[in-house]
Amino acid sequence: MAAEQPQPEGSKPLSGLLSGIAQATYYGHAGITEELLRGQLYPEAAPHEFRALLAKMSGVLKSVASADMDLNQLEAFLTAQTKKQGGITADQAAVIAKFWKNHRTKIRESLINQSRWDNTLKNMNWRVDLKSQSRHVDQINTPVAIVEMELGKNGQESEFLCLEFDEAKVNQMLKKLSEIEESITALTQTT
Amino acid sequence: MAAAGKAGSPPYSHPGHGESSLGRVSFLGARPPAEVEAMAGGLRGLSQETFRRLLTVVVSALEGKDCKESVRAIAESVDLSEEQLTSLISGMYTLLREALRLPVSTFKQEVFKEDLQELRIPEEFIMDFASVVFGNRHPVVEATTMKQGNKLPSVNDIKWRVDVAISTSSLARALQPSILMLLKLSDGTAHRFEVPVVKFQELRYNVALILKEMNDLEKRSILKIQD
Repeated sequence: MAAEQPQPEGSKPLSGLLSGIAQATYYGHAGITEELLRGQLYPEAAPHEFRALLAKMSGVLKSVASADMDLNQLEAFLTAQTKKQGGITADQAAVIAKFWKNHRTKIRESLINQSRWDNTLKNMNWRVDLKSQSRHVDQINTPVAIVEMELGKNGQESEFLCLEFDEAKVNQMLKKLSEIEESITALTQTT
Repeated sequence: MAAAGKAGSPPYSHPGHGESSLGRVSFLGARPPAEVEAMAGGLRGLSQETFRRLLTVVVSALEGKDCKESVRAIAESVDLSEEQLTSLISGMYTLLREALRLPVSTFKQEVFKEDLQELRIPEEFIMDFASVVFGNRHPVVEATTMKQGNKLPSVNDIKWRVDVAISTSSLARALQPSILMLLKLSDGTAHRFEVPVVKFQELRYNVALILKEMNDLEKRSILKIQD
């Protein structure tokens, strides 16, 4: 079938295609369309041929990403795909393997973010001041921390939380964070 | 102008009215607040018992308590007009507010007493005022003042939970820990948010750094304002 080999297999257009799929599917770039990809990467392929290739590659990438395959799993999976009827060629498999090695971490990160619906802590800024005087107190002279926390959802405007901490409060906060740290360490080490 | 002939006075003391015969400016400023002067005049002829009742009310007010009832009780039992009573209470309040503003470490009792004598406040009342300013009420009033001061909200309570996402619609085996945090603030609001592990490490590092900076700052006393 012509769709098997739309044109002599250069690794460049395929690697570009995989990047395009990743941009559109995982990195949230809405402007990348089928037309654009075909025009830029496979200008000589017929639209229906290109569509078949795009669907196949998207499917392969989705399987690889959703299982977050390590290199052994990937090799086994790609070998199986090359042997399957209507599967991929060995050259294509090599391009996919190379692409996944470079993008695995980033794609995984983005997939995890896709399942996060609550507000997230995006950033924090802080400043330590020395309280000196106020209307009813001539000398205060105690340090105070002003902390700004940026909370927001993906793609939405953030909310900024501005808080004040005296030393005792910072201490209390640090204690809680240490408890959390212990809990995470315990979880990640035993499994 | 009353300033005539005072050209030699130091630039930081306001020339003219108010500068006492002691050659320094009163803790109430170059010119005592009008309500304090009015109160000082009104005190003459007041019985010590009434004065002490008024003083108790004023101190309670400085400690942040509601004093409507006690003032009403005094108004009903003493032979003073409403204007007299108001003038006495507001003058005493201002006087104590200003005196309590100053740190006990540098504000001398003798200075305070001299300044009150300058206002012609009767000696027995001066003793009572001094016992408030330099006695055990000072820390209580100070604590109230700090509480009422202008500030940003602070964290009253932190609740947390560590979640591990096992599987999601986009990732078959996620196994990714994340922290769900709830901050309850002093302004009554609560904020819940998720903290990815990477952000959590950043948060923890920064909080530890803040604590270190605060400790360092306390060691450096050069920043303290000293008279």
